Amino acid sequence: MPKILIIDDDPDIVEGMRVVLESKNYVVTNAKNAEEGIKKAKEEKPDLVILDVMMETKDSGFEAARQIKKENRNVPIIMLTAIKEKLGFDFKNEAGDEEWLPVDDYLDKPLKPQELISKVESFLKNK
Amino acid sequence: MNNPGEYENLVERIFWLTRLRWIAIAGVIIVLIFTSFVFKLSLPYFYLYAIVGVLGLYNLIFYFVLKDTRNKKPEGSFSTANRIANLQISFDLACLSGIIHYSGGIENPFIFYFIFHMIIASILLSRRAAFLQATFAAIMFGSVVISEYANVIAHYDLGGFISLSQHNNPIYISGTFFVFMSTLYIAIYMATSISKRLRQREKMLYEANELLKEKDRLKSEYVLRVTHDIKEHLSAIQGCLDPVLTGITGELNTKQSDLVQRAVSRTSKLLFFVRALLEITRIKLSKDLKMEYFSMKDTVKEAVAAVEMKAQNKNVSISSSVTLGADKIKGAREYILETIENILANSVKYTPQGGRVHINVDDKGDSLFLQVKDTGIGIPEDELPRIFEEFYRASNAKEIERDGTGLGLSIAKQIVERHKGRIWVESELGKGTTINIILPK
Repeated sequence: MPKILIIDDDPDIVEGMRVVLESKNYVVTNAKNAEEGIKKAKEEKPDLVILDVMMETKDSGFEAARQIKKENRNVPIIMLTAIKEKLGFDFKNEAGDEEWLPVDDYLDKPLKPQELISKVESFLKNK
Repeated sequence: MNNPGEYENLVERIFWLTRLRWIAIAGVIIVLIFTSFVFKLSLPYFYLYAIVGVLGLYNLIFYFVLKDTRNKKPEGSFSTANRIANLQISFDLACLSGIIHYSGGIENPFIFYFIFHMIIASILLSRRAAFLQATFAAIMFGSVVISEYANVIAHYDLGGFISLSQHNNPIYISGTFFVFMSTLYIAIYMATSISKRLRQREKMLYEANELLKEKDRLKSEYVLRVTHDIKEHLSAIQGCLDPVLTGITGELNTKQSDLVQRAVSRTSKLLFFVRALLEITRIKLSKDLKMEYFSMKDTVKEAVAAVEMKAQNKNVSISSSVTLGADKIKGAREYILETIENILANSVKYTPQGGRVHINVDDKGDSLFLQVKDTGIGIPEDELPRIFEEFYRASNAKEIERDGTGLGLSIAKQIVERHKGRIWVESELGKGTTINIILPK
């Protein structure tokens, strides 16, 4: 079954999502911070990453996304943030590639179980 | 004396001086017409009108220079404006001296009009510069009087007004000149004392206002931090409750399901409120919104689509029209979309079955005019002024919907004002409400 990596420092959020995802038989693994997340993304090669934006510093989530994509450009990353919060970030030019964004989608917490499942399914179906 | 805001003040006052000068020019012309046709004084009218022409010419030039300075706002524009003010007053004093010379010199009672410039100088300039202007006026006027006395330049009699010429009477000259000069200096002293005090008060008000703004910012930061933390906890609560409610963790019996449902519903409401509070606080704290060009037509379409289902369920018809030319606009699209969505959602919510909601966007040249009209319950007249206040909800709205943040229109107002636009509401109880928005392109 596809493996999903959740990077979030809030264990309760992780647990809620784990229950939902495991009910659909996904393999769920998690990391508590960006550093651990990048390491796990490299070692465990997840099929999808769910990443919280508000970790240690304001843009550490985005930085983690960039690191993960550097290793594996094809892994979809869903970022957990309100769409408005991302307005301040502009990564297009920094990467030197107009089309390239470190994350594939944004979702605001909390996610309804159905919303989470359909989002994950839509990304994994495309693979 | 150079505190922020003072530059705008100075420029504003110089514009005022420019406007005054047009009135003065008109005044001089009227007086000249009277003296020539009614009093039939024989004066060198050609020179007098020439001076009026010079006045008009430099008034025009200064007007454009000033406009240019204000638009560009380059570094050191304050001293530029200051120099313009000084120069204008000096030019005026020279012109006035010229007019006085060609119309009777020391015998002309209009010599006391120099006082007006002393007052203007006291308002516009520093005390030192104002005294220098007074000295300049005294020198200009003094040299006219002395030159006329010494026959270096001609004296023009005001025959018919003053029967016996006094321009070569040394006692009259020195006496009048002394009164003239002391009047100028005393006028400067008094006017600068008043304007100094006013400037101090202005500065105090400015500082007090800055302090309030800073305190308001601290309060907003505090609200942001607290709300953000609350939202994190709420998200976790909801994230844990939802899987239970949906039965992922196993079937619930009716009572369990009912209770969890209640808990989820309350958490949702609280989350909705916290999100709105976060949003308005974030907008307040953000220094500048990211502006880009976008299509108003598409945005309106998207906003209408977002509320269409709700409208259909209530049998409320919703329609939109965007005039040609009212499409392209520069702004923060996400925020504008949200504003329109919120207003439409409000209209649908407070419009009874069978009613109508219509959004119209018109082109107003350099701005767009948005109107959302509904045939809803309306807002009581005495509550209209409070409708944009944070957390305020109209009394009849509360009857229809118990829960609501009272933040929707406050957020809309914040967003519109951050775009340098304007938002206002018109409403008739029981008939409907119109929200009007002007957004600069």
